[in-house]
Amino acid sequence: MEISQKEENGIVSIAIKGRLDADSSLEAEQVVKEALGGDTNRLLFNLGELEYLSSAGLRVLLSAAKEMRRRDGKIVLCALNEFVKEIFEVSGFQSLIPITESVESGIEALS
Amino acid sequence: MENNTSATESILLVDDNPTNLQVLFQTLEGVGCKLLIAKNGEMALSIAGKALPDLILLDIMMPDIDGYEVCRQLKSNPTTFDIPVIFLSALGDTEDKVKGLQLGAVDYITKPFQPDEVIARVNTHLTIHRLNREVESQKDQLEHELEIVSEVQRKLLPKQLPEIEGFKLGVHYETSRYAGGDYYDIIELSDNRYGFLMADAEGHSAPAAVLMAMTCALFRSYPGSADDPASVLHYLNEHLCKVADPSFMTALYIYYDANLQTMQIARAGHPLPMIYRNSDQTAAEISCPGVYPLGIEPYEIEIPVTEVKLQPGDRFLVYTDGLTERFNREGRTYGEERLLQTLAADSTPDPQAVIAAIMANVVQFADGHPADDDQALLLGIVQAKRHF
Repeated sequence: MEISQKEENGIVSIAIKGRLDADSSLEAEQVVKEALGGDTNRLLFNLGELEYLSSAGLRVLLSAAKEMRRRDGKIVLCALNEFVKEIFEVSGFQSLIPITESVESGIEALS
Repeated sequence: MENNTSATESILLVDDNPTNLQVLFQTLEGVGCKLLIAKNGEMALSIAGKALPDLILLDIMMPDIDGYEVCRQLKSNPTTFDIPVIFLSALGDTEDKVKGLQLGAVDYITKPFQPDEVIARVNTHLTIHRLNREVESQKDQLEHELEIVSEVQRKLLPKQLPEIEGFKLGVHYETSRYAGGDYYDIIELSDNRYGFLMADAEGHSAPAAVLMAMTCALFRSYPGSADDPASVLHYLNEHLCKVADPSFMTALYIYYDANLQTMQIARAGHPLPMIYRNSDQTAAEISCPGVYPLGIEPYEIEIPVTEVKLQPGDRFLVYTDGLTERFNREGRTYGEERLLQTLAADSTPDPQAVIAAIMANVVQFADGHPADDDQALLLGIVQAKRHF
């Protein structure tokens, strides 16, 4: 897994590439925690290059969503590939965290 | 670090030169350890094997068995391999140091040495060795405790599968580590009716085992009617929401009426159940809509319930994702397609035989790559009707 983050126009974007599973979830959790260190309340996950997501990975995204809700903020997951999208649908997570087709539409949803 | 070594610790000093041995002995007298001495490699190996010292200071240049060879033999012996070795030699070349360290030594001190330096390094390595031993012993203790958790957990699973008229059950359950988060259960209602639960706590090992045990306790004390799958999941969710955060639990609950051979299925984030239809001899996922997993937040919508009518020869499979997400060496997952194919492959009416075939297929696919999640399957096959 590769994970990177940046902040632009008040939106924290976290891009996750490769596999988000039990092994990499600890690192991802740490990065998300640090990225939310400030008082940001706009969070975007760019999952365009996420290839695999396990339930441990879902937990990382869920924790971030809960944190944003606590802050009365907004979160969006963007550009999921078919496989990852199916995981969200089957697991019912699409009703917990908003998903958009592209990063652009994600930014729009947060604005 | 002050002199904090325990009097029960011992250091073995090895040098073929009596003067050197004496200097070393005097240097370390104040460290507070029992000092053992060996004048050659053979003695060193013999004393090390019997006394199991906490540290060995080892000269390299010795007749017969030299220090390198002593080190090699110590490291290849399971009783002495973890004793830290510090080489002590007049050889000062980088190559010699590298060779010593490659053989498994923890440090290298060049002669002539400064007494303070030797004492400081000895103390450091004694401390590291002591901490290592503590970590090892705590790890053993933890593993032992997890084994007990695992034993308790096994006792929570049904001791045997019920004999259901016209519907034969088989099961497989394995945890990737000692304890796991997968859970299945079956309750018998009156008049040939049953409730099946398959659930999977996110994660594995101890935290998942706690959630699993809690779900078991909740399920078995469910006060409502077990013929209403939506109510069962609502109840479990209501209580798990108080304790599961930040984790969660996926679940499938199935109410089965063996008289009518109908199922009512409610699903919370769990993989879709699969069915092999004997009539057209194909296997497919049952596309039952569901809700997100248990333990996240209360469901504000009605939990959908899907009804399925079974026919003789049909196979109904529920499983946890440790099975379909089992990786092979190339990093590919076993996946739903392979599982469907294997489910459809055999024509035996014995569910345990079908499960054995599935597990054999999974193991063959994984090609030696170990399971990193728990795996559970529950399979029922509708038996051909008896004619009266």
